[in-house]
Amino acid sequence: MANAKTAAPAPEPARRNGELPLLGVALPGRRTYRVWQRHRDVFFQLWRAELFPPILEPVIVFLAFGLGLGTYVELTGDQDYIEFLAPGVLVIFPMFAATFEALWGAYFRLERSGTYAAILATPARPEEIIAGDILWAATRMQISTILILVVMAVFTPSWGLIDSPLVILVLPLNLLAGLLFSSLAMAYTSRVRSISQLSYFFSLAVVPMFWISGGFFPLDDLPGWAQVLAWLTPVFHAIEINRGLVTGHPQWIDLVHLVIIIAAALPAFWFSLWAMRRRLVT
Amino acid sequence: MAAIIEARGLRKQYGDLTAVDGIDFDVEEGEVFGILGPNGAGKTTTIRMITCVTPLTAGRLLVDGLDVNQDDRAIKSRLGIVPQDDNLDEDLSVRRNLEVYARYYDVTGELARQRIDEGLDLMQLGDKSGERIQALSGGMKRRLIVARALVNDPRMMVLDEPTTGLDPQARHLVWRKLRLLRERGVTIVLTTHYMDEAEQLCERLVVMDQGRILDGGRPRDLIAKYAGENVLQMHLMDDEQAMVRSLLAPALERGGRVEQIEDVLYGYDLTREDADGVEHAVADPYRVDFRRAHLEDVFLILTGRGLVE
Repeated sequence: MANAKTAAPAPEPARRNGELPLLGVALPGRRTYRVWQRHRDVFFQLWRAELFPPILEPVIVFLAFGLGLGTYVELTGDQDYIEFLAPGVLVIFPMFAATFEALWGAYFRLERSGTYAAILATPARPEEIIAGDILWAATRMQISTILILVVMAVFTPSWGLIDSPLVILVLPLNLLAGLLFSSLAMAYTSRVRSISQLSYFFSLAVVPMFWISGGFFPLDDLPGWAQVLAWLTPVFHAIEINRGLVTGHPQWIDLVHLVIIIAAALPAFWFSLWAMRRRLVT
Repeated sequence: MAAIIEARGLRKQYGDLTAVDGIDFDVEEGEVFGILGPNGAGKTTTIRMITCVTPLTAGRLLVDGLDVNQDDRAIKSRLGIVPQDDNLDEDLSVRRNLEVYARYYDVTGELARQRIDEGLDLMQLGDKSGERIQALSGGMKRRLIVARALVNDPRMMVLDEPTTGLDPQARHLVWRKLRLLRERGVTIVLTTHYMDEAEQLCERLVVMDQGRILDGGRPRDLIAKYAGENVLQMHLMDDEQAMVRSLLAPALERGGRVEQIEDVLYGYDLTREDADGVEHAVADPYRVDFRRAHLEDVFLILTGRGLVE
């Protein structure tokens, strides 16, 4: 199409709609990054408000259990309760951050602020909008993880929270786990018709997962059925791996946990693309 | 002039609801084309299909020679879209809004800076660059959305009810800016249910209702076809109805028509003398107005639920 007005940049070459369709979704391309950039820019615009909750949450938990409450919990072995707690905190609070973003954040952009609609008018595809959102939620998980690591490092001289430099591997681990959590939350958001429905995901999925994940008390004391249930929750596997990283004694079985997280993350990601695409393209 | 949009048998079905019911139209390159119709006529759905946001149920739709079913991305990169609802990023500044949006088109760096400066100047928002969105008036937000739609230097602008909710001054400013874009060779497609907007801007238009196109053409041709040259608009008291109708009876035999739409009686193809007759007969002559026909008359005749006599 010859046209002097669109000389720079060259008009995008014609591409097929839904190029490389994979089980009903197109593979997200580079505009996923553009969508992620948008969320990053908004976050840094508001960073003063956004940064405090993810710092305060772990500080309160560590202070509460380090200064007093922890002494009421007795563990087998000589581990202090606060040391037992740290690997769980390092997964659970970041999981909250990612889930929150993929529930309320995504819903707000979908239904209230018109952000999704605005981006849909551009060459970005629905899959790229959704993937960008999921990637951003996983990024929120990373930000939260880093802040908690800093808090743990500050408390380590007093309470011995970090025993090994391996703990830094929690970042790639939480990125994977973050993709999984955010994809699940995003898939749920795609079915939600009112804002109050979002909290069901929290109270019926996230919070029970939080209790049964082995993060706040050892699973060994629980009945067999609860241990089976724990294996079905993604957060349990992440905490198990993380426990090895924080103490510096990873186990071979952690590889199994890792494979389970990856094996769950891929279909969850695909499913969230498929489900939210159905909501966006009508 | 070549057609920049070609729609044939365009259809959109949502379950049992037929939003657009097999319509045909062409938009010529460089013109301002209007899609008029009451709420729920199918205007927005038509726009959503043109902009590749909604897939077609049936029919064929070419935009700039490309098929919307196959080349959505290429089409989107050539369009500037102004949606019905303001969907600016409230948390970002005016300038940042445009930068973020330009990135979706891979317009970055110096080119982005240049386009954004031009767009803001053109829309008279140059001094608002650092403002937060909440600080802008409704008219400024609309102009900013137009500026945002210009970051990819589009061949065609598609506007869905561009001035709904604005005060008269703000509307006139938006219209002036759109005419400016048209002078620069940008094709403009807009929907509206404001007849003055359509008369101010559109070179050609179609009137839609219930998913169908009722008629289309140049505004003045449509006015001549449906409403003639003048219209006699009468707000009558109940006890005046019968009297006025009998007064106009000879005119109706000559080919004049009257139509009751809501509580107003409209007379078409009547003469000055017919109008004077009615004016003298009613209690308050201010309730009778003999005026030039305009597009609103066409719209009411085509979509109105009044009885045609």
